[in-house]
Amino acid sequence: MRLTGFTPAASVLCLCAAVASSAFAAGKIFPYNYVQEDLPNGLRLITIPTDYRNIVALYIVVGAGSRNEVEPGKSGFAHLFEHLMFRGTAEYSAERYQQELSSAGAASNAFTTSDFTAYHTTFSKEDLPRILSMEADRFQHLSVDEAAYKTETRAVLGEFNKNSANPQQKLYEVMRATAFRAHTYRHTTMGFLEDVEAMPNEYEYSREFYSRYYRPEYTTIIVVGDVEAKKVRSLVDERWGVWKRGDYKPQIPAEPPQDGPRTANIDWPSPTLPFVEVAYRGPAFADESPETAALDATARLLFDHSAPLYQKLVINEQKLDSLNAGPPDNLDPELFGAIARVKKESDVPQVTKEIIAAIEEFASKPVDAKTLEALKQHVRYEFVLRMSNSEAIAESVARFVALRRTPEAINRYFDFYAKLTPQDLQRVARQYLTEKNRTVVTLATKAVTK
Amino acid sequence: MIRPLASLLCLGLAASMAASAAGPRVVALPSKSPLVTIRLVFTTGSASDPAAKPGLANLTGAMLGESGTRDLTYKQIVDALYPMATTVHVYSDKEMTTFVGQTHVDNLDRFYGLMRDMILHPGWRDDDFARVRDNTVNALRVSLRGNNDEELGKEELYNLIYSGHPYGHENLGTAAALAGMTVGDLQGFYKAHYTQANLIIGLAGGYPASFAARVTKDFSALPAGQPDSVTLPAPAGIAQNQLTIVAKDTRSVAWSFGLPIEVKRGDPDFASLLVAQSYLGQHRLSSGVLFSRMRELRGLNYGDYAYIEYFPRGMFALEPEPNIARRQQIFQIWIRPVEPANAGFALRAAAFELNKLIEKGMSQADFDRTKTFLSKYVNVLTKSKSEELGYAIDSAYYGIPAYGDYLKAALSKLTVDDVNRALKKHLRSDRLQLVAIAKDAEALRTALTSGDPTPVTYVTAKPQEVLDEDKIIERLPLGLRAEDVKIVPVEEVFEK
Repeated sequence: MRLTGFTPAASVLCLCAAVASSAFAAGKIFPYNYVQEDLPNGLRLITIPTDYRNIVALYIVVGAGSRNEVEPGKSGFAHLFEHLMFRGTAEYSAERYQQELSSAGAASNAFTTSDFTAYHTTFSKEDLPRILSMEADRFQHLSVDEAAYKTETRAVLGEFNKNSANPQQKLYEVMRATAFRAHTYRHTTMGFLEDVEAMPNEYEYSREFYSRYYRPEYTTIIVVGDVEAKKVRSLVDERWGVWKRGDYKPQIPAEPPQDGPRTANIDWPSPTLPFVEVAYRGPAFADESPETAALDATARLLFDHSAPLYQKLVINEQKLDSLNAGPPDNLDPELFGAIARVKKESDVPQVTKEIIAAIEEFASKPVDAKTLEALKQHVRYEFVLRMSNSEAIAESVARFVALRRTPEAINRYFDFYAKLTPQDLQRVARQYLTEKNRTVVTLATKAVTK
Repeated sequence: MIRPLASLLCLGLAASMAASAAGPRVVALPSKSPLVTIRLVFTTGSASDPAAKPGLANLTGAMLGESGTRDLTYKQIVDALYPMATTVHVYSDKEMTTFVGQTHVDNLDRFYGLMRDMILHPGWRDDDFARVRDNTVNALRVSLRGNNDEELGKEELYNLIYSGHPYGHENLGTAAALAGMTVGDLQGFYKAHYTQANLIIGLAGGYPASFAARVTKDFSALPAGQPDSVTLPAPAGIAQNQLTIVAKDTRSVAWSFGLPIEVKRGDPDFASLLVAQSYLGQHRLSSGVLFSRMRELRGLNYGDYAYIEYFPRGMFALEPEPNIARRQQIFQIWIRPVEPANAGFALRAAAFELNKLIEKGMSQADFDRTKTFLSKYVNVLTKSKSEELGYAIDSAYYGIPAYGDYLKAALSKLTVDDVNRALKKHLRSDRLQLVAIAKDAEALRTALTSGDPTPVTYVTAKPQEVLDEDKIIERLPLGLRAEDVKIVPVEEVFEK
């Protein structure tokens, strides 16, 4: 580690690890040297040179997602902003911005999650100066008039509409609205339909949202690929250093402890196979304790293709054609959930019981140590295999940066993973995967047995 | 059609291709990366399905990639793959069936052994067959027909354009045909089409020097065979626009439309049409004319794009997956779901932009910018070794140099006049197949065949020039008579 300063407030953190030829060589799992620097205004820059030639992947992570939509009736604005950010500035109109991207041969897009919004662009290395300059401009000087704003709200409604054909989207919406009552995780990143429909009348609020969150202290720039850290820093200083820090801190309502099991059912208007989702209130992401790693391991050991329950229900009995699970890994306490697509509606109650029973058994009996070791190997190789190009590296880093603003969170998280014991898994399962914390939502073309 | 080997040897600097006298061809991209990608591409697919068994090629591939081997059950394979965090991913298109796996070099021996046995020594167990067939029927009826209006429209468009043609059925088949298939059918297809003559072995990454020879030797155990040689007629022409409305209880209206083109990668007008397509609607980027005029200016929907090559799963993927090469392609416009009240206007707006492009052509400035974009964007398409390998295999199939080299060379010689001539030669808007997924099919038919305008509804005031253009668009002739419109209940799509 070395610390130098461009100004007294600026810091540079250089973290080095040799690129390992074996995924199990000693050392940190994140194999790239990276330079992490803080500008005086609070903006963070993370530069990761790689051996993938000619290409640069740029991720700009803003720490505002649907979690930050705290006022009633204003759900969906973080996502709306993902759209509005392509609407231009005084210097770069939307048309000119697109023309510049085109002449750079860039692939550019953005996405919004509960916790953050990411803007990503992949392009040839010679275009880094102008792309960084254009991005600095739109992050500081977005200029959207009311007419353009209203037009974009209709594109967002269009996105809601295209998602609405998928019953899993509805399942996701209803699960959140059932499992959460106070926290903003109650709504999806798309927002409630009534809020999306009302967006055209919220132009002033949109300006407020931009002023709150599109600030350097909420933003991290990640540059990965055929680059030199010093040159990147110089480019960022030039256009991003003048960005003014804000002072807004949202009051995210805390979700009270769940008071008992909850259920909901969705009647879907067109033919589909039925779904059941079983979810439990879990903790927030942790890289300072083993909870998140333990729940990730639990989800995999219970529901991955090699898991006994998957083998029973999907491979042998063939009652399901899919079974997936996801652990909580958000800034605030989130859900641990398993989703099954069931082939016969009459099997839904039994499948639900079996999922719950498998979870209860997991909490009561420690997992076999050999199985846990095989999982640890799987997880490590999975991460290494994901690092197959600069864009993929940037995306993986962005997800951890959104949580802790540093790639070092990757190493800390995987260190806990490597040290997990069967007792850790059992303890965490007993703490979170309880009947009191459970929510079950079913979806079928007509109501399933309740 | 596979070109003679002699024409396949020029694949650019990084890739090399070799073939033994009668063995499978090998495309190799060795590097120092600890990740190794294996792509085994059989140049057979649904174009080779027997007429009575649509979906057989896909189901055969799925059975190999998602089942046990002669010696191991599927459970044992899953357990063996698990610590390596890898799988064998299989997908099948009209002319190619691809098995792809990526592993850390630590595990190459074990992974390759499993992948090899899955293809060379399948187990053909009845319970695996029942599961894989069920999954396929559910993918067809539920995931595609039930839950994804946009992909449903795109796939149905291909079926309509290629009606009566070897490409004229969904790759997954029909529910009825799948119900009648047996393990014996799959074994028959396997024996006839999984041959050395149909195989391209692709390897990329830091594999040992002897690995390519080992794979080649192992797969020389397949029958020598002959390359698939299904004759492809020209798609049946249509005299005027034809509309199929798939009636489904859904919130909005999804559109796809297009026509066959006589241009594929390697043909003289490929680069010209690629430039035109990119300018009109580069996939999932905001730069295209359709995106700009329909979404950005008018807020009609989430996005609007154009294609000259097959691009499945576009709602999930930002870049196309390689190894779905075809000898025949279509030009297609994809209009993402629109509010029902604006469905007619959105269709007309896309047709308006297409007409304008064909009639007026691209400007020199737009041409220059799009050409620059494509010559750089090709680096993004091949950003990982796996993708670079996939493109190299496709180049072998089409008989062209490495895609990046091929495209840059073609673009460097191109002029705006070439593009504008190709536009007039290959594209038109009066011989289109159009597909809509809509709830109120009768209302949509009436709206589009009555001769009445289909005006747009906005939530905000628009500049006069936009409103003036809207007046033209809302009355744009579509050439649709009532008898040119067919309504199909969604339950019937892909059934028989």
